[in-house]
Amino acid sequence: MVSMEIQMADLPELETPEAEGNIGRSLAWITVAAIGMIFTAGAIVGVIAAATEDGQALSLKAFAIIGALVAIIGALIYAQWNLARRIRIGGGPMTTREKLNRNIMVGCGLLGAVIGATLVATDGSIPSDPQTMFSDSPLPLALAVLLAVFWGVIMPVIAWFWHTRAIDEQEANAYRDGGYYAAYGYLMGAPTWWFLWRGGLLPEPNGTLIFCLFAIIWTAVWFWKKYR
Amino acid sequence: MQNRLRVLRAERQWSQAELGERLDVSRQAVNAIETRKYDPSLPLAFKIARLFGMSIEEIFNDGFDGDTNG
Repeated sequence: MVSMEIQMADLPELETPEAEGNIGRSLAWITVAAIGMIFTAGAIVGVIAAATEDGQALSLKAFAIIGALVAIIGALIYAQWNLARRIRIGGGPMTTREKLNRNIMVGCGLLGAVIGATLVATDGSIPSDPQTMFSDSPLPLALAVLLAVFWGVIMPVIAWFWHTRAIDEQEANAYRDGGYYAAYGYLMGAPTWWFLWRGGLLPEPNGTLIFCLFAIIWTAVWFWKKYR
Repeated sequence: MQNRLRVLRAERQWSQAELGERLDVSRQAVNAIETRKYDPSLPLAFKIARLFGMSIEEIFNDGFDGDTNG
C-alpha cells in the first residue's frame, strides 16, 4: 500500500487535459456553425422571397445581401472543415467504435434532413413563424404512414444497434444521465405547466414543445457528460 | 478516482486512439478516465489491468487505505 501511495504521489499533473481526445468544444462549435448555416440559408430564402414578392427581378442590393449571406455560409463551412481537421489530429485516428458511431450519427442526421425537407416541401412554403416548425397540419396519408414506420419501427432498430454496437460504456453512462435529467425535467415541468395553464397564467401545454424540450435536455446533458 | 493510465500509456508510447482500440472504447472514454472525469466499470477496469499486466489496485486508487478486516 505504501508503494502504491508513492506511485500515486509521483503521478505528474495532467498537463493539458484537452490536448488529446477531448473533442467536445470542437464538436460544439461544429454544431453551432451548422445551426448558423441553417438560419443563414433561411435568411437567403427570406431575402429572395421579399425581393421577388411583387414579381420583380432581384435588385443589386438584394444580390449584395445574398452574396454576403452566401459568404457567411462559406465561412461557416470552412470553420467546420477546420474544426473537423483539428478533431482528426487530436488523439490520433478514430477507433473502430467511434467510426461506427460517427457513421450512424451522420446517417441519422441525413435522414433527419430528408424528413425535414420533405415536411417543409409538403407544407408548400418555408415557415416564417417559428410556431409552424411544430406544425400539426394534415399530411398526405402515404407520407404520414411512411414517417410513422420510420420513426416507430426503423428508429428503434437503429437505436438498439447504436446502443449495443457503436457506443462504449462512458457514452452509455452519459446517455443514461441525460435520460435522468430529461425524465425529471418532464415529470416536474409538464405538471407545472399544466397547473399554471389551469390557473390562467400560461397558454395550454404544447405536447410537441414538451417533446422538443425533453430531447434538448437529454442531448445537452449527454453532450456535457460525454465531452466535458 | 486516481489512476495511472496516462503514465502507463505514455510508457508504451500509445496514443489515446491506440489504447482505445485495444480496449474497444472511444478516445473520449480514454481521455475521460485519464482526466478522472469518468470511473470505468469493473469489467473495463479488469480489461485495463489485463492489458497492462497489472492488478486493478496497481492502476486505480480510490484513496481508501483503511483496514477492512477489522
